[in-house]
Amino acid sequence: MRRPAQVPLSWSSAPLAILATVALLLLAGIGVILQSEASYRELQEQETRVQADILAASVTAALDFGDARAAQEAVDVLRVNREIRTIGVYDRSGARIAGYGRDGADPPPRLDRPFPVPASLTQASVPVTRGGERIGAVYLAADAEPLSRRLSRNLVIVLLVVMAVLVVAVLGFAQAALRRANRELLERADALAEANTELRVQIGEREKAEDQLRQAQKLQALGQLTGGIAHDFNNLLTVIQGSADMLRRPGLAEEKRARMAEAIVQSADRAAALTGQLLAFARRQPLQPEVIDVNALIEGMTDLLDRTLGERIAVRTELAVLPCAVEADRAQLESALLNIAVNARDAMPDGGTLTIRTAATDNMVGVSVSDSGSGMDEETLTRAIEPFFTTKATGKGTGLGLSQVYGFATQSGGDVRIVSAPGAGTTVTLLLPCSGGQAVRPNGDGARRIASGRTGRILLVEDNDEVGEFAAILLGELGHDVTRVRSGRKALETAASAPFDAVFSDVVMPGMSGLELAEALREAHPELPVILTTGFSDEIAEGATGGRPLILKPYRLETLAAALDEALTKETP
Amino acid sequence: MRLSSPVRVWLASLAALLLVTTAVAQAPPPRGNAGVVKADFLPKFPRYVEWPATARPGEGQPFQLCVVGTDPFGPRLDQAAASEQVDGRPVAIRRLPDAAEAGTCHVAFVHGTTVEDTTRLLGAFADRPVLTVTDGDGMPHGMIHFTTRRGRVGFLIDDAAAAARGLTISSRLLALAMGVRQRRS
Repeated sequence: MRRPAQVPLSWSSAPLAILATVALLLLAGIGVILQSEASYRELQEQETRVQADILAASVTAALDFGDARAAQEAVDVLRVNREIRTIGVYDRSGARIAGYGRDGADPPPRLDRPFPVPASLTQASVPVTRGGERIGAVYLAADAEPLSRRLSRNLVIVLLVVMAVLVVAVLGFAQAALRRANRELLERADALAEANTELRVQIGEREKAEDQLRQAQKLQALGQLTGGIAHDFNNLLTVIQGSADMLRRPGLAEEKRARMAEAIVQSADRAAALTGQLLAFARRQPLQPEVIDVNALIEGMTDLLDRTLGERIAVRTELAVLPCAVEADRAQLESALLNIAVNARDAMPDGGTLTIRTAATDNMVGVSVSDSGSGMDEETLTRAIEPFFTTKATGKGTGLGLSQVYGFATQSGGDVRIVSAPGAGTTVTLLLPCSGGQAVRPNGDGARRIASGRTGRILLVEDNDEVGEFAAILLGELGHDVTRVRSGRKALETAASAPFDAVFSDVVMPGMSGLELAEALREAHPELPVILTTGFSDEIAEGATGGRPLILKPYRLETLAAALDEALTKETP
Repeated sequence: MRLSSPVRVWLASLAALLLVTTAVAQAPPPRGNAGVVKADFLPKFPRYVEWPATARPGEGQPFQLCVVGTDPFGPRLDQAAASEQVDGRPVAIRRLPDAAEAGTCHVAFVHGTTVEDTTRLLGAFADRPVLTVTDGDGMPHGMIHFTTRRGRVGFLIDDAAAAARGLTISSRLLALAMGVRQRRS
């Protein structure tokens, strides 16, 4: 922090100025007193001389007539003046003819001789003349003003000076106190600034530590995720690899061969389901939303649920009349409900009741699945949605069930609420937003169209060699004439040089993506149908296929056949 | 006790001396001495008296001090007057046996041989602005009258009479007087 402006120079030299002022005041006071004393002394001398003059005038006749008694009378008149110490009247020859002395003092016996006089006395000696002729003299000595009178006369000045000095002193003290306060304030500001800096450093360190912790947690979660995936996939891959190895062996019985192939297909299915759930949790799965009547969907699932959950669990439905349909991916919704139901079953090992309710609230449709099972404690409840978190024995659950539910619900613009307590069962509520559309009945017979058996010239666009080769084999097997290219640009060139009935393209490719290729082809060959395929794509997850059919990897032969069949049928009605 | 005769004579002479000394010390000052004082005083009076403008001597003209009747002072008065100077004017002494020629006098020392004589002489100045001075016990009084009290020569002042003649006597002189007859203000 920046220090406040420096204390002005005059501020720091103020005590000196105050001392100087005090000294000046004292000097001025003393000067005034001395001046007043001097002028008083002069005045007194003048007064004494005037008194002597008056006396001289009044004793002129007495001296003239040599009348000592009259002179004494004139002298006695002045006795009333207590300040006059001694008076002497002298004749022409200088001899004293009348006089007066107070407090044991005596006037000089003769004026023409030196006479010791105290310095404190003001004296005056005036000749007595008669018509210009000196006929005698008068001597008068007056006391200086008494100390008390002088003090009282100077008291006002002394008081004024003392008051001024006091005022200056008080000002000085106040100023000194102010300076001290100012200094303390500066020190405190400095301390505050230091504390602030310290705090900032601490905050910075703390933020760093928090970042590190978050990073560590992220890494931990990532580790858990990768570990879980690796574990599950390893199990499936073990089955696939083992079965494939067995298939390679010569002379294997046809019945065994079929079992091995079936094992591979099932494991691959489960692996696909696993990645599907992972993508669902990551909200990265390509959704194919449609308008669904939730009540109808649940009713359609009751048979499946009965079979899946076993005899010891009773499935009940309490379906309310819903004001609207919802728009969601049908397969994902079914999968989510199944996941919840399976969790409920596992929470009721000794049997119980599973209740599925529907309700409409605030433009949302809620599907609640309640069980009468063991329930969850607080900690389990908080981590329930976490991927690969499971309370089930190893191998019994993937820990991805509720993660899929959560991912699906949020991706569909809804939410998941879980209410549970130990011993009180669990209720999972899936909330989905209302849709303005009309629900359609699923035809559910897509896979049966393989029978139509239409074939054509197919342009296969796939950058991955293995997948490309595999797809070419599949398409060839289905009877199509396949031309394979490795990039979108090459595909455009090829499509320009030769006629094709359909394009089957991967979405994620270096350079031109499948979507870009599809757009470009629409410009050049508007009638040419394009089928897209992807394992995962940001763009597709946002639902931007532009109305084109999409096949998710890994795909089955039947799915591929059906999609191509539909495309070719549309192209050649 | 019996003393020898020389001792007795010495003691007697001592007692006599003591008596004589005491008598001398207590007696009034010798007449001659009082006369000298009066002679000294007399020329000083004009200094303390204010005459009406018409009666004042002209510029440079002397004050006329007339001794009317008999002169008790002799040359002493002349000596005293010689040393006086009033406002630059000398004091001139005139000795007049009678008041007939006293027209120009400013101060008149009136001294008759008898009470009747003095009264007659004073009467001559009755309505004139002349400072009249008299002396002697039982004698009629002028404006200033010499007197001796406890051996000291002094004077009495009749300020009322002076005022009646238009004269103003200085308060300084009045202050020295042994008695003053106040003027009617």
